Amino acid sequence: MSVPAISKASHRERALRRAAKAFAWVAVALAGASALAAIAWHRGEPLNSGWFVVAAICCYLVAYRLYSAFVSAKVLALDDTRATPAERLEDGRDFVPTNKWVLFGHHFAAIAGPGPLVGPTLAAQFGYLPGTLWLIVGAAFGGCVQDFIILFCSIRRDGKSLGEMAREEVSRRGGFIAQLAVLAILVILLGVVALVIVNALKASPWATFTLAMTIPIAILLGVYLRFLRPGRVLEASLLGVAMVLFVVVAGQWVAASASWARVFTLSGVTLAFALIAYGFAASALPVWLLLAPRDYLSAFIKAGAIFSLAAGILIVRPHMLMPPLTRFIDGNGPVFAGKIFPFCFITIACGAVSGFHALISSGTTPKMILRESHARFIGYGAMLMESFVGVMAMVAACAMTPGVYFAINSPPAIVGSTPEAVSRTISSWGYALAPQTLPALAQAVGEHTLFNRAGGAPSLAVGMAQIFSNTIGGDRLLGIWYHFAIMFEALFILTVLDAGTRVGRFMVQELGGRVWKPFGRTGWMPGILLSSAIIVGAWGYFLYQGVVDPLGGINSLWPLFGISNQLLAAVALVLATTVLLKMGRIRWIWVTLAPMAWLVIVTMTASYQKIFDPSPRVGFLAFANSLAAQIGAGTIPASRIADTRRLIFNNRLDAAVTAILAAMILVLVVEALLQWYGILARRRSVTLHEAPYLATQWPEGFAGTAQGDD
Amino acid sequence: MPRVSRSFASLLLRFWRGLRQWCGDADYESYLGARRHRPDLRRGTAPLSREEFYLEQLNRRYSRLSRCC
Repeated sequence: MSVPAISKASHRERALRRAAKAFAWVAVALAGASALAAIAWHRGEPLNSGWFVVAAICCYLVAYRLYSAFVSAKVLALDDTRATPAERLEDGRDFVPTNKWVLFGHHFAAIAGPGPLVGPTLAAQFGYLPGTLWLIVGAAFGGCVQDFIILFCSIRRDGKSLGEMAREEVSRRGGFIAQLAVLAILVILLGVVALVIVNALKASPWATFTLAMTIPIAILLGVYLRFLRPGRVLEASLLGVAMVLFVVVAGQWVAASASWARVFTLSGVTLAFALIAYGFAASALPVWLLLAPRDYLSAFIKAGAIFSLAAGILIVRPHMLMPPLTRFIDGNGPVFAGKIFPFCFITIACGAVSGFHALISSGTTPKMILRESHARFIGYGAMLMESFVGVMAMVAACAMTPGVYFAINSPPAIVGSTPEAVSRTISSWGYALAPQTLPALAQAVGEHTLFNRAGGAPSLAVGMAQIFSNTIGGDRLLGIWYHFAIMFEALFILTVLDAGTRVGRFMVQELGGRVWKPFGRTGWMPGILLSSAIIVGAWGYFLYQGVVDPLGGINSLWPLFGISNQLLAAVALVLATTVLLKMGRIRWIWVTLAPMAWLVIVTMTASYQKIFDPSPRVGFLAFANSLAAQIGAGTIPASRIADTRRLIFNNRLDAAVTAILAAMILVLVVEALLQWYGILARRRSVTLHEAPYLATQWPEGFAGTAQGDD
Repeated sequence: MPRVSRSFASLLLRFWRGLRQWCGDADYESYLGARRHRPDLRRGTAPLSREEFYLEQLNRRYSRLSRCC
């Protein structure tokens, strides 16, 4: 009689546990919905940023628990009995079975760059609401899905790259477009991130000294890791982090010394040429000397700064002083011109949907994954975390007074160049700003000026410094925190710059090698120098045109970057949709088709407006034509005619680049539609290029062969 | 108390191992480990020294996109 009693009790216990779980998830969902509602409908007193943290975390938890589980089980049908490439091809070098938490850290460090920090900061000009909603919804239904499914596709294809998979599964033309898109995005990305650094460092001896010192520090670490203690990355990085923190503090002494301050006070153009020279050197020098040690340093500082920012926001919970929507949703924003649709979704790419992630998801990560089911945690989960970084950047930007935000990010051509003029213009928009506010803030953070610093990095650094100084040190440490934040942003932008330039060099060598064989040899010095010069010259040109642009450069270059990034996302989602069709998952095709359609609509609308919009601040051609008309009418002084002609050329070039990107999207979509029609009408043979099934030999609890201690 | 301190020590050890794997400090040991349990990997070749492995690893890692925007 006792057996049924026990079974009844355990059944009741299980039911109770299930009910408690369901109740907990309903509570999380309700908390997220309430926080989102508060963010969307709150008016009047400034909203506490705690609502943003609650909304984001609850939405991420629900999305992960429900949507990613649905994608894993129904759409992809992940199979843990199947051996992954890390098992079948294990070589201890590329294919290394790795613990899922460690691989999550690797993957997150690889996908999180300056984009999720800079994009939301720029999009804050629309107010906090549109950017925050796009970050959360875009990530849950777009970016995370893209990263997850591309990672899955690559795992099933022995870790093949996006271009290889697009060529095999979509078409040869699809693969070629993917390769071109990668090169285009690389050149534009490097130009725009370099511009962000230039705008943060110009006329700032403290920040310039700090960043310049990271170069000898990286070289010192390179020599240490190469000759003294080969491969001892942890101890070398900790040593390097200590030195970098010291130079952040030492920068104030440099800024205080008249003679040293003069040496490190550089104009935008000088900084641009210095960065171009740096990029060339980093690409041509041996990788162990500069690139790798800088990357190690950057990874540690990035992780530390992101965790500190999260902790700072949780402790301080600043109030959001920016309104939910600003008047600039009409397209006349001073930071960049263009209406909320489509430009909010182009400006925030990384943090919501970023095509670049597809390159990482089809790069190192699929070769190290232990089980197929880990793809959900690593692909979907790491992107959710990046989205959270974007939400934190939005909080940091919107926690400062709107007047200060617009004064830092607006070019002088729009707001004027004296404190009085800036204050008058910004106050006339309804955002109060006293003439002495920004000079006083600049002095408090140890800068000569904070005017005309478009690019997002300085305003984010001010926001971060205010949060950090409210946690530790108060106003006394505001300058140190500001320069720590600038160094953190600039350091990992430089890492993207030198790593990207080097990869771009290889791509140029590969393309050139098809024309002339010796050029393709990666060890041939003339080839190295020439290909480095070509790739550096390409992004250097975009950088230079951004620096001399009277509208601040970000206005034209950031949308170009957003368009090219979303083009790559469209390539990735076309591939994902094709694979799902071939797998027979027609019922679930909307999972990738919906974000793809959204991205195509957004990208095409933005491209059309950037080329043809009649407003000179939005349309490249309208701006070029208005300048040409001014030369024709004789309103431009003779001394400025050459510069104006160059501006006209640059704007026409930007229009041509945008048109080429848009044409690539169109070709890709038509190509994909034909392919899908062929599959659905059974006019094409459906061949999936997956590696054959092989059962795993690893026991259930196996956690990887990667070694962790001596 | 000893149980608490034991689990704390084990947590610290796991964190330390994870950190070393994350930053690449443990890559060489992983390489040697892979050679130990995969006989096909060591057929006819001597293992690389730590320095050789480090340089080879860097050249391979930085010849493809490893950092995103």
